[in-house]
Amino acid sequence: MVSRNNRPLVAVLLGLTLVRSASQIGRADETAPVLSETRANRLFTLKILPLLKDKCFGCHGRDPEDIRADYDLLTRAKMIRGGESGKTALVPGKPQDSPLYRALLWDGYEMPPKETDRLSKEETEYFSKWIAAGAPWPDAERQLAIQKTEWSVRENEDGVIAHTSGGVGDDWTYRRYQKNDIWAFQPVKHVTVPDGGGHPVDAFVAERLATAELQAAPQADVRTLIRRATFDLTGLPPTPREVFQFRKAWDSDPKNAWSDLLERLITSDRYGERWAQHWLDVVRYADTAGFSNDYERSNAWRYRDYVIRSFNADKPFNDFIMEQLAGDELRPDDAEATIATGLLRMGPWGTAMIPQEEARQAYLDDLVHSVGQAFLSLPMRCCKCHDHKFDPLPTRDYYSMYSAFATTQPAEVDAAFLPNENRNGFSEKRELVEDLLAYAKGQQKLIQDKQEAAARLWYAEHKLPYKNENARKNDPEDQKPPRHVGLSPEEKGMKKVREQDVWIWQRRLERYEPMAQGVYSGQDDFKNGRKLRLPKQINAQWRPQNFILAGGSLEAPADAVKPGVLSATGLHATPNSDNPWSITDELKGRRLAFAGWVADDRNPLTARSIVNRVWQHHFGNGIVKTANNFGATGSKPTHPEMLDWLTKNFIENGWKIKRLHRLIMTSDVYRRSGMPVDAEQQAAADPDNKLLATYPARRLSAEELRDSTLLVSGELNQEMGGVPIMPEINMAVALQPRMIQFSIAPAHQPSRTPAERNRRTIYAYRVRGQADPLLEIMNLPNPNESCEMRDSAAVTPQAFTLLNSDVMTDRSIAMALRVQKESPGDTAEWIRRATQLTFSRVPTPKEQSRLHTYLQQMQAYHRQHKPEEVKYPTQVVRSLVEELTGEPFEFIEKLNVYEDYVPDAKPWTVDADTRALADVCLVLLNSNEFVYIY
Amino acid sequence: MATIPRRDFLYGLGASLGALALTDLQAAEKSLGPLAARKPMHDAKAKAVIMLFMEGGPSHIDTFDPKPELNRLHLKASKRTKGLAKGKRFYVGSPFKSRKVGNSGIEMSDQWQFLANPDVADELCVYRGCKAESLNHPEALLHMNTGSRLGGDPGVGSWVTYGLGSENQNLPGYVVMTELALPQAGPANWTNGFLPAHYQGTRLRSTGPPILDLNPPNFKTREHQRKALDQLALLNADHAKTHPEHADLQARMESYELAYRMQMAVPGVIDIASEPEHLQKAYGLERKETADFGRQCMMARRLVEEGVRFVQIFSGGWDSHDYLEKGHSSRISSVDQPVAALIKDLKDRGLLEDTLVVWTGEFGRTPDNNYRGGVTSLGRGHNADAMNMWFAGGGTKAGTAVGATDEIGAEAVDVVHPIRDVHITMLHLLGLDDNKLTYFHAGRYKQLSQFGGELIPEIIA
Repeated sequence: MVSRNNRPLVAVLLGLTLVRSASQIGRADETAPVLSETRANRLFTLKILPLLKDKCFGCHGRDPEDIRADYDLLTRAKMIRGGESGKTALVPGKPQDSPLYRALLWDGYEMPPKETDRLSKEETEYFSKWIAAGAPWPDAERQLAIQKTEWSVRENEDGVIAHTSGGVGDDWTYRRYQKNDIWAFQPVKHVTVPDGGGHPVDAFVAERLATAELQAAPQADVRTLIRRATFDLTGLPPTPREVFQFRKAWDSDPKNAWSDLLERLITSDRYGERWAQHWLDVVRYADTAGFSNDYERSNAWRYRDYVIRSFNADKPFNDFIMEQLAGDELRPDDAEATIATGLLRMGPWGTAMIPQEEARQAYLDDLVHSVGQAFLSLPMRCCKCHDHKFDPLPTRDYYSMYSAFATTQPAEVDAAFLPNENRNGFSEKRELVEDLLAYAKGQQKLIQDKQEAAARLWYAEHKLPYKNENARKNDPEDQKPPRHVGLSPEEKGMKKVREQDVWIWQRRLERYEPMAQGVYSGQDDFKNGRKLRLPKQINAQWRPQNFILAGGSLEAPADAVKPGVLSATGLHATPNSDNPWSITDELKGRRLAFAGWVADDRNPLTARSIVNRVWQHHFGNGIVKTANNFGATGSKPTHPEMLDWLTKNFIENGWKIKRLHRLIMTSDVYRRSGMPVDAEQQAAADPDNKLLATYPARRLSAEELRDSTLLVSGELNQEMGGVPIMPEINMAVALQPRMIQFSIAPAHQPSRTPAERNRRTIYAYRVRGQADPLLEIMNLPNPNESCEMRDSAAVTPQAFTLLNSDVMTDRSIAMALRVQKESPGDTAEWIRRATQLTFSRVPTPKEQSRLHTYLQQMQAYHRQHKPEEVKYPTQVVRSLVEELTGEPFEFIEKLNVYEDYVPDAKPWTVDADTRALADVCLVLLNSNEFVYIY
Repeated sequence: MATIPRRDFLYGLGASLGALALTDLQAAEKSLGPLAARKPMHDAKAKAVIMLFMEGGPSHIDTFDPKPELNRLHLKASKRTKGLAKGKRFYVGSPFKSRKVGNSGIEMSDQWQFLANPDVADELCVYRGCKAESLNHPEALLHMNTGSRLGGDPGVGSWVTYGLGSENQNLPGYVVMTELALPQAGPANWTNGFLPAHYQGTRLRSTGPPILDLNPPNFKTREHQRKALDQLALLNADHAKTHPEHADLQARMESYELAYRMQMAVPGVIDIASEPEHLQKAYGLERKETADFGRQCMMARRLVEEGVRFVQIFSGGWDSHDYLEKGHSSRISSVDQPVAALIKDLKDRGLLEDTLVVWTGEFGRTPDNNYRGGVTSLGRGHNADAMNMWFAGGGTKAGTAVGATDEIGAEAVDVVHPIRDVHITMLHLLGLDDNKLTYFHAGRYKQLSQFGGELIPEIIA
């Protein structure tokens, strides 16, 4: 290590200011009493050495072949001596003069060099104290004695030892946690609501506001309240009529008006569509599998509808958990329960060009991580390679959970259609797919026939009997025609393209079959992600051997593990057994046992996790801001007592989410205005509004924006469920060639009629490899990672899409037509009505006159500017660089939907007045007042 | 094209500006936004990056890492078992001759004709020691582009713009150009991941409007758009007055004005018709096989010249499992001339010294092949243990070859580094320290290299 730290000396030379600051540093050390040797030994053993092992030895000692800067820290003498610079690195008794210590402070030299590993202030103080005490280094025997004494005390001033199944080493097993870092692993406390009467939520929030001397904002106005509640519960704006009626009811009896409103919204079908979306974000819903081929998961839509149904039916959340994790084992003959296990199929996964063992590991790793994150708010990936750095999660528990899923196999399984599933238009939609399949097969046959004709010729020329492609496969090369005989480079590429097409359309036909993306319990066997089916036979005797995989590597199995649960929760899965954290190791029943543990009333994580998620979607932030992470590196609860009170209340009342909404939404806190009573004071005391003196504004999510626009334009078809719909999207993106293995994925073809495609966004086809650009630009989350909270950063391209896209232009025209139809010829009323639809209020006189003038200007403009008609293509020419030969070639993709397509109203189908009014509508739809909710 | 000062767009609103309070105006001026240029962490050698991504896995053996020993083994049985190798296999010698070029004597296949020009070849720093980790395209692409095989992590360009911002606020800071077809794993290759959305790569499209919906539909003029924006600004200004507590309103209002400026700036910078004819010719714009990539290379130079921080161009078709000779010769000839022209052009303008040009794929290829369709097809499989890439400019060591693979090109054996070290080195050249360029997400400080790594000093001048 390079020493550049003679700071006191330098300071003397430079002048008074620095001398003072340097001496202050010195004094701070001097005022602290120097530790006795016993205490210094203890400090070394319990604090210094573990830090050295964790953060320093890796580069400075552990590998004798590779010691960075030639500085070895393994012994006291070497630590003092220093490295290649030749300067003494540690001066016992004098931390300030020890370059090692200065480096730990990142003062000049910076060690450890990574931001992630940088020592905390507390940790650097350990070193300062230890060096000041002469840097004693007790021998191993003494260290062990110190450790044993230490470990026998569960709780001391350094924190508390967590009971777990044990880490890879004792240092980890007996390490201490700050109590507030492991809050989530403690049982949910019984809390009494603070005095003062009134609503419990208000009482908890008021208590903290009072401490911070902040005044709560008054109640929001009536329009704000109905917009807020309607968007929160349904993801849609209230209609002007709903606003009018609510206003009237509120004027006579606010309390009843509010509870009636909540009741109407909460029992509306739109509620499930909105809240299912939050859950689908967490579990990463998509209709395709990602990876090289992005294969369609043709029945995923049934899981999506199951989630919507569950929310609408207010299914107890613990039942919801059981069904998703183990529906197949819970009720094997119930299709609904089978569909629910779609959760276990939501992660991106593929097998192409991936060794089988690795693909299997990737599937299980994804399950462990995502299940932990979704239900327990514990991202498990952190303890795949080692014991968790910050949380009481030993890597042993990771692999116990891994083992709990080790017999879970993905497959498309049988599941009869339920009476409440939407199968509208199945036959018509199936026909469109069959048409595409027939086309692909026809094209495939043309090429195949040409090749085989050439092959026949070859055989004839060589005086050999003809053999078909499969039969000649293993013949010696001089006894069969060359590969791709008779085909041009273009046809060679096309052959593979059509083969892939056939697969794609065959899979898509499965949408209409009584199948579900599900799982079964069975043995590991060869899997091709293209088609996953139950094996011919399930080997009931099969038991996978699972191990802790050191560093997460299949090549480094360590201790064997059995299926189990997370030990730090203190919740035993099999009480009174040798290993109370273990669950069955039979082939079947592992998931059921694991699910039962997750959904247990006494599990400290599960109910807190969902209660927090519900709170989060009402207030923008959770009580714990990091809804996916309740660990030490996550946020701490802002109102821990309230979280526990709500959680207990939730459990005691049957895990009912709708009840929780009512509870939260009837508080004053929920109905507050966003405007602070004293903005400066609030900005100073609570800049992040953690204490909820005001209600936080939020931007519409991508889905809310599209859905609301459709509602306002009068186009929204509220039909529920069914196979994915295809909205119109930007044409360039729809036809954008998208590479998959050997080919190009099929184009995005919108649903044929406006009613079919202008449905809520939750029903839209979600392709991992290609997002709807409108949704994507409005911060649709990455489909491969669990999303706890939507981002809403305003980025420039949003403006392009919202102002210029065909999709938004079409909505503005539809909205104009709607408004015109309601009041033919009355231009003033058009302005009034358009504003009312978008803002839930009438325009101010100033707005009215300004927008009316704008309308007139645009009427004049559009009389001068006629739009050109744009025709829909019925086929698209694809050009592709053939993967294997590097030769470019072209082929035709059929877009059969457009052969019989019913378009929306377009600029060229309406007159100048409509286009002018559409301009007004478009401005309104782009405005902040429309896209923000207060 | 000069950057329009921030003040101008607000004044440009003209009379309707009255609606905006003076404080708003000042606030707008103060907040230069998330893409404002930032100082590097240490002395930077490079200011911008042009990354040329050859998708499909270019064969190192047939590009910049010739293996004469393989010619001797040609068609002899191979016993390699690594990776996905299985079944009957045979060695494949390169269909191309190799030669030493320039004063530096860098060895490359004879298919490189323009790049072999000493003026250009002597600027290259060929690196033959990198090991990828994945054998399938999407994972390997994601690894090279985002530092993680999983997908969802920010692209290298996102990290760089997050660290350095951009020099031109009227253009995206991170620009991506692809062929008509997107590379495998698609936009996940240039996503902002968990970084704020401002750092996402913006794709400039080769056909139609360069940015999706950049322009209004054909019946709406620019004046029409200005009027709509003025109406919007007025509505938003009134609304902002009723919500002084809401900070996001300002940013969203500004984004519309920036969009309006971008509508002018983007077509300007990509309008290569204004480039002199001899230069267009030099980039290969007149040849069918080089026109597309040549245009993109030329645009990359113009973008970097205008202060864009990171430009990435994808060129596919390198996955030569069969027909290696045809495939690779056609791929090489489609990029050779444009790439050489780009380096020369940057050099002539004095831009090469602080522009880092990177040419790479997602992995290399095997020295042997399996029987495909029952025949000895001359091609190569995927190889995660060996690959090559090269750098030019931006503080890299010109005219050198660093690292080596074994005698048949099966595995890197000298100056061996994983992909993360390449990333760390790229960041270093830009004045960024991978260990400090972090973002707290999901419970830990994330960094491009995931968990840190090492510089490759041999690459640095």
